[in-house]
Amino acid sequence: MTTLKIENLHVTVADKEILKGVNLIVKTGEIHAIMGPNGTGKSTLSQAIMGHPAYQVTQGSIYLDDKNLSEMSVDERARAGLFLAMQYPSEIQGVTNAEFMRAAINARRDEHNQIDIMTFIRKLDEKRAFLSMTEEMAERYLNEGFSGGEKKRNEILQMMMIEPKIAILDEIDSGLDIDALKVVSRGVNHMRSDDFGTLMITHYQRLLDYIVPDFVHVMMGGRIVKTGGAEMAKKLEDEGYAGLRDELGLDITLTDEDAD
Amino acid sequence: MSKTNELPMPKFTKVRYKAWALDRMTPSNEKTENSYFLSNEQGIEISGISTTYYQLDQELIDQGVILMSVIDAQKKHSELFERLRGQVVFDETDQLTYQNAHQFNTGIFLYIPSHVTVHDVLHLTLNQLATSEADFVARILIYVGDNASVNILQTLNTIGNKVTKASIVVEVIASESSSVQFNSIDALKENTSAYINRQADVRSHAQLDWHNVAFNDGQVVTNLVSQLNGENAISHANVIAITHKKQTQGFVTKVINYGRHSVGHIFQRGVILNRSNLIFNGVGKIIKGAKGSDAQQESRVLMLSRHARGDANPLLLIDENDVTAGHAASVGRIDAEQLYYLMSRGLSEKTARKLVIRGFMGDVLAKMPTKASKQYVIQAIESKLIDEDK
Repeated sequence: MTTLKIENLHVTVADKEILKGVNLIVKTGEIHAIMGPNGTGKSTLSQAIMGHPAYQVTQGSIYLDDKNLSEMSVDERARAGLFLAMQYPSEIQGVTNAEFMRAAINARRDEHNQIDIMTFIRKLDEKRAFLSMTEEMAERYLNEGFSGGEKKRNEILQMMMIEPKIAILDEIDSGLDIDALKVVSRGVNHMRSDDFGTLMITHYQRLLDYIVPDFVHVMMGGRIVKTGGAEMAKKLEDEGYAGLRDELGLDITLTDEDAD
Repeated sequence: MSKTNELPMPKFTKVRYKAWALDRMTPSNEKTENSYFLSNEQGIEISGISTTYYQLDQELIDQGVILMSVIDAQKKHSELFERLRGQVVFDETDQLTYQNAHQFNTGIFLYIPSHVTVHDVLHLTLNQLATSEADFVARILIYVGDNASVNILQTLNTIGNKVTKASIVVEVIASESSSVQFNSIDALKENTSAYINRQADVRSHAQLDWHNVAFNDGQVVTNLVSQLNGENAISHANVIAITHKKQTQGFVTKVINYGRHSVGHIFQRGVILNRSNLIFNGVGKIIKGAKGSDAQQESRVLMLSRHARGDANPLLLIDENDVTAGHAASVGRIDAEQLYYLMSRGLSEKTARKLVIRGFMGDVLAKMPTKASKQYVIQAIESKLIDEDK
């Protein structure tokens, strides 16, 4: 079993404190969802875990089992078993999807034990078909000219190829129509096992109809303010974040409150 | 040769190249029987002054396509060759055009008659034999007739490593409604200082696109020009370059809009390593009367070493009001978001950098017309980056 343990995490971006003491434990075999209003630090949490250089950890710790992630580079974290499906994946021309995924797999294996090309192609074909992606996508350039939906699918494909221990899915549902959402969810549910844990970040309860979480956390003002089961997401959908805030007696201004 | 003294040296803004003495060359007469790069392709390979490979479909020959060395062309098609030569690059423009015109003793002649479509990629391979101290002075002359179309892969290589100079002038005439994809890979070696001048006359409704991979290892100045001489003429001039070690590569990439509704776009991407220099000059010139024409340019340089020097100078010269024009230029560092994305999948920083750099030049890489040429470019990038840590 692998455990991602976040304790009292404080993170600043461009000298502004966004996370103000997050505590969270994600174990393999579990699916967690983090919900919350805009501007509350959800994406900051995911980038801080992965190690984006713009996000500074000022207090607290992030551990993957006994490894202190704060002391590791981005690629070392990835090779330790972390994966982040990004909200805005980069496009890189001249590098094919297939080449990239093969390099990512081989980065986890030692020099004398690289994945042979046939095994790789067979695996890629299988996962690609599972996500209803076309054969030609393998030879297309990395995310180049991909639609929003194709990019999200490609993130899930990479996850299935790399087989991380803990995957963070940052708004994997944004910009997806219902069919694409079903495909992406199918991918995540397929990964569900005792050796795989997920932390999903989402605005909408809709995603949780397709990927049913074991735990739902609500984040507001840079902290997790409430944790519950799948049923909590439904309640939130009805009552809104402002309702929960008032119920908890929190003094937080929500970014989009005026619009409500 | 007395005339050369009266003509100016060509201007490559911000490039100091006088010390390379490109105006003094002794053409080499080196011969060989080896073919170096071609084995199955349609096309011709010229090594030194020898033709070392030749293959052209009988069907194209029957349609009147001529492909041969300039030595053969001067014997077999002298009237045609002399009539066309010097129409795009004038002999008396400057010292270096004059010198090439009077001294070239090797090169390639390609003539495609009107209405002929060449389906396969046509390889024009030019090898400098740097096995003696003498220099390489070559000419390529290409005529593409009305409504004809061709996809060319022209490469420049050095065999041997004697200290030499090279002058290569390429003239292309793209007649009315023709379509020319001109892909080139320049891979002259470290001990060759060179002058490369490619120019096209793009006539009405014709389109000529350059994809120039400038991966030379030595001191090189490159002039790349599209003259949009007819209505609706289109040209995209795309250049990628890497400089490494202590070399300098300087470019003037220029599109001149003479024709109404002509479109000229310049796109340059360069990567600078070690203690090298890379200078991009982009010139968009719109002549009075070229109504409705469009001149755009973008030049970007990635500076990967503190000891390197790079420049991207855009210049727009516009004498007509009814036009659209724009430019962008930057000298910057590696894209941190792309690097982060690749590393988040477990790739080491070194591997990720390599891929980001390849991606930076991906627009032109993607246009390379054969699998082998794409692979060549990818490998050339990697081998130049090996020196990065030194």
